[in-house]
Amino acid sequence: MNTRTRIPVTNLQHHVFYVTDLERSKAFYTELFDLQFSALNHPDSSAAMRLSQQEMHFFSFGFHHHDICLVKHHKLRMDNNSMLHFSLVLRDKAAFNEVRSRALRMGLPMRKGRMLASAKPVARAFSVQDPDSHWIEIIEEH
Amino acid sequence: MTTAAFVPPNVIPPFKQKFGPLLKRKWFRELVLLWPTLTRRRFSNKTEDYGVFKPSLVSHIGQLSIYVQDIGRSRAWYEQVAGLSHSRTCEREPHPSKEGWTVRCCYMSAKAHDECLVLIEQHDPAGKVAVPSGMSFFHFALEVEGNRLEDVLVFAEQQRATGFAINYGPVRHNSEPPLGDGETGGNVACYLYDPDWNNVEFCGAMDTIENYRARYGDKKGSERA
Repeated sequence: MNTRTRIPVTNLQHHVFYVTDLERSKAFYTELFDLQFSALNHPDSSAAMRLSQQEMHFFSFGFHHHDICLVKHHKLRMDNNSMLHFSLVLRDKAAFNEVRSRALRMGLPMRKGRMLASAKPVARAFSVQDPDSHWIEIIEEH
Repeated sequence: MTTAAFVPPNVIPPFKQKFGPLLKRKWFRELVLLWPTLTRRRFSNKTEDYGVFKPSLVSHIGQLSIYVQDIGRSRAWYEQVAGLSHSRTCEREPHPSKEGWTVRCCYMSAKAHDECLVLIEQHDPAGKVAVPSGMSFFHFALEVEGNRLEDVLVFAEQQRATGFAINYGPVRHNSEPPLGDGETGGNVACYLYDPDWNNVEFCGAMDTIENYRARYGDKKGSERA
């Protein structure tokens, strides 16, 4: 088994981050991006969640079972001190325009351009904060 | 391999990690869920209860930036464990959301994902590197090349053989023996802590929309049972 060349990873596949109010965050992500709710793991439905005292709501971009998951830890307090941001690449120009319009309608303060000054340029980008102040960078790649 | 002195409160202690493999046993999962079963609060979290049939406006996750205490140490870990390649490390720049703070960014690339991960040292106004709290995210997942069950199993074995401790897995996030842990998504996964106790999942073979359609057609909810 170990004679095989060391296996690398190919891509960032999904992200699972803490929130304080699952319903509030669920409304935010579905309203802004049309994310599809795909599963719920709860301490009353999942042994792992019962042991870890967490609840997870899974969301799909439309192909994989889940691409982002919202987690509420029932004992510990979340913060914004281990992640600076994450980027969501939109399907195309029309999707970017749609999300920007929705962000305006939702009254979200928008930060124009890339989140990090040193990041590579893209066609268009802006960032918003979710209800837990996580920074989400929204990108049109080409 | 994790060396940071501060241990975030969400890190699974070594004693509890020993119980992880038991989640692959149905009797153990039933035991853990005995109370909600007896009190009739228990419900199903099976993937089949929910359908994913409509694409969203999002294509994929482009980038994730995480705080680390020592870029050199973290870069070495992600190169050795994940096979990520170093793209570039930049000079300090202003923190985008904290006045007076600066960040130093190290961009890492995967085989098919340019600069997917940014390792960030966060410096306070006095120039001191901040210690990451570990409480912004539970984990993030990197897809193992090949994207099959057996690829993740070999990946996990390779990590163990080279001295990198796995904190959970390999498991499959469904209820099918011998690897199923009763969770959802169908992905085969193993989890390792990076040097700052950030939990990293290495995964493959996640369920897709095609799986759903092939299995259930247009049936929804309880019709799929």
